[in-house]
Amino acid sequence: MKYAWKEILYGRKKYILIELLLILLMFMVLFLSGLASGLGRAVSSAIDTMNADSFIVDDSAEQLITVSSVGTQVLDELRSAGANAAPLDIQRMYIIKDGDDEKLNMTYFAIEAGSFIEPETIEGTGLAASSADNPILLDDDYKLEGISLGDKVRDSSTDIEFTVVGFVDDRMYGHTSVGYITTDSYTRLRKALNPMYVQSYHAIAVRGSADYDFAGNGLELVSKHEIIENIPSYSAEHLTITMIVWVLVIISAVIIGIFNYILTLQKQKQFGVMKAVGMRNSELAGMVISEVLIISVFAAAVSLVLTFAMAAAIPEKMPFYLEAPDAVAVTAAFVAISVPSSMLSVVNISRIDPVKAIGGGEE
Amino acid sequence: MSGILLELKDICKSYRDGSEERVILDGVSLAVGKGEFAAIVGPSGSGKSTFLSVAGLLLTPDSGSVLIGGKDVTGASKGERTMIRRRQLGFIFQSHNLLPYLKTADQLAIVQEKPMREKVSVDELLSELDIADCRDKFPAKMSGGEKQRAAIARAFVNDPDVILADEPTASLDAQRGRLAVEMIRNEVKKRNKAAVMVTHDNRVLDLVDSVYRIDGGKLLKERFE
Ligand SMILES: Nc1ncnc2c1ncn2[C@@H]1O[C@H](COP(=O)(O)OP(=O)(O)O)[C@@H](O)[C@H]1O
Ligand SMILES: [Mg+2]
Repeated sequence: MKYAWKEILYGRKKYILIELLLILLMFMVLFLSGLASGLGRAVSSAIDTMNADSFIVDDSAEQLITVSSVGTQVLDELRSAGANAAPLDIQRMYIIKDGDDEKLNMTYFAIEAGSFIEPETIEGTGLAASSADNPILLDDDYKLEGISLGDKVRDSSTDIEFTVVGFVDDRMYGHTSVGYITTDSYTRLRKALNPMYVQSYHAIAVRGSADYDFAGNGLELVSKHEIIENIPSYSAEHLTITMIVWVLVIISAVIIGIFNYILTLQKQKQFGVMKAVGMRNSELAGMVISEVLIISVFAAAVSLVLTFAMAAAIPEKMPFYLEAPDAVAVTAAFVAISVPSSMLSVVNISRIDPVKAIGGGEE
Repeated sequence: MSGILLELKDICKSYRDGSEERVILDGVSLAVGKGEFAAIVGPSGSGKSTFLSVAGLLLTPDSGSVLIGGKDVTGASKGERTMIRRRQLGFIFQSHNLLPYLKTADQLAIVQEKPMREKVSVDELLSELDIADCRDKFPAKMSGGEKQRAAIARAFVNDPDVILADEPTASLDAQRGRLAVEMIRNEVKKRNKAAVMVTHDNRVLDLVDSVYRIDGGKLLKERFE
């Protein structure tokens, strides 16, 4: 380790170049990784943070809540059987801020006021505590649109007016911010659109277990995890970016291996001499691996610092969400993969014949 | 003879050159005792380096045996040979072959075995070779003579039995070359080592105890004191 460090210090000019390349690559990796979870959260955070374990949907809905339909009697039957169940409807619409005419994207999460899937507010009160006809809890992103507590917002297609009674933190679904309304408001909304509307739920959220003949009633119980994976665009975006991240991690580690191998090829004579004077293959391999470790740990550390510095400066609206454990896992994997990537050099060194050291200069 | 540190008996070595076999060493024997400094001379291509490689366990002879410190090491495994080279042999090459990224003290420390730190002082070796002021210098900042003396110091750092030098003066001018050989001689005498030096520089032969000539695959004793 000591001598590897001395070698790097002595040849710092060439090592700085490779470090720059690796730092840029790892920075890109961490940035993409933050973007992957940021986008993932923009699609799923309202479900992810919901205080439920699984969801009942109809078995032709392909585990997608928005196209499912579950009869209201299912909820009653579940409740009388003692299950912890709550209705949920998810509807993508537009709202208009009072006194404004700009349409804002909104995904309604219609819930029973006071049920266990109602989120905690960071400001204002819950749905049940409000006396307003149509109360609504908004994701705090709407504050950036100039909406504040007590404001009125209108549903763009029905003109039903909601009163903002509270704000919640980090609730998004399918790239739009969520507004929580009551199931009653939702029924009014649907009736305004279609007077023939017969009430049913998109899904029923369940906490703990539910004993029910799902299959016999054309229903299925789907875990939260599966529901998230089946939200349109979630898998496509998340998996693609995650795959790019890992490919880049491997590429970065392999670049260290190749760089190290080129250096090794340039140092055949040096290694021959070291072997002639009795240095063991294990000592030489140790030097090579330490060198690779120093290079990769340094690149990992600098890119981590850079990424978190940048994350602090990034605008709120950008879907960037990097948690320290994820970032550390990615960089640790990079460091770990760099070690086997130096094996090419180690094998090369073990094959050098030290006899070349004698009679030097002839070849 | 109990004081023999290096002994080669009936060494044969030939290289295959295309279809024909070229015999380089044809039954060569040599014994070097404690405190003895031997030189091997001979024309270019006569097999001097080959001989030294066999003595240095870098090359296996076709037949014959090699004894180091009185022990037959002819059949030693690759790992054992590495160990013997590290602990019982000291090499001085044609050019200094120092590592460019290490200061002189580290050049010695990197090859020194841990238990030897007590026994052989790096700083003492450097002062004896008159390069104490190069202790913290990189090879790039040292003269050719200083570098070769650092390489000589390195050869002694594990308190070996035998010193093997392959044309140690080849990269130096006459005066500095002579100085380097003098220093090898001083250390060999002081530390009671056996040394074999391959050279074609006749002007330094007055500094050695015995001279052998290699020619036509045979080794002939030319002078012995
Ligand atoms: N690995 C080898 N393969 C084939 N021939 C070799 C090899 N090494 C040395 N030789 C030949 O053996 C002869 C002796 O070489 P060497 O011991 O280096 O001589 P010297 O050191 O006396 O100049 C030379 O003719 C050389 O070409
Ligand atoms: Mg030679």
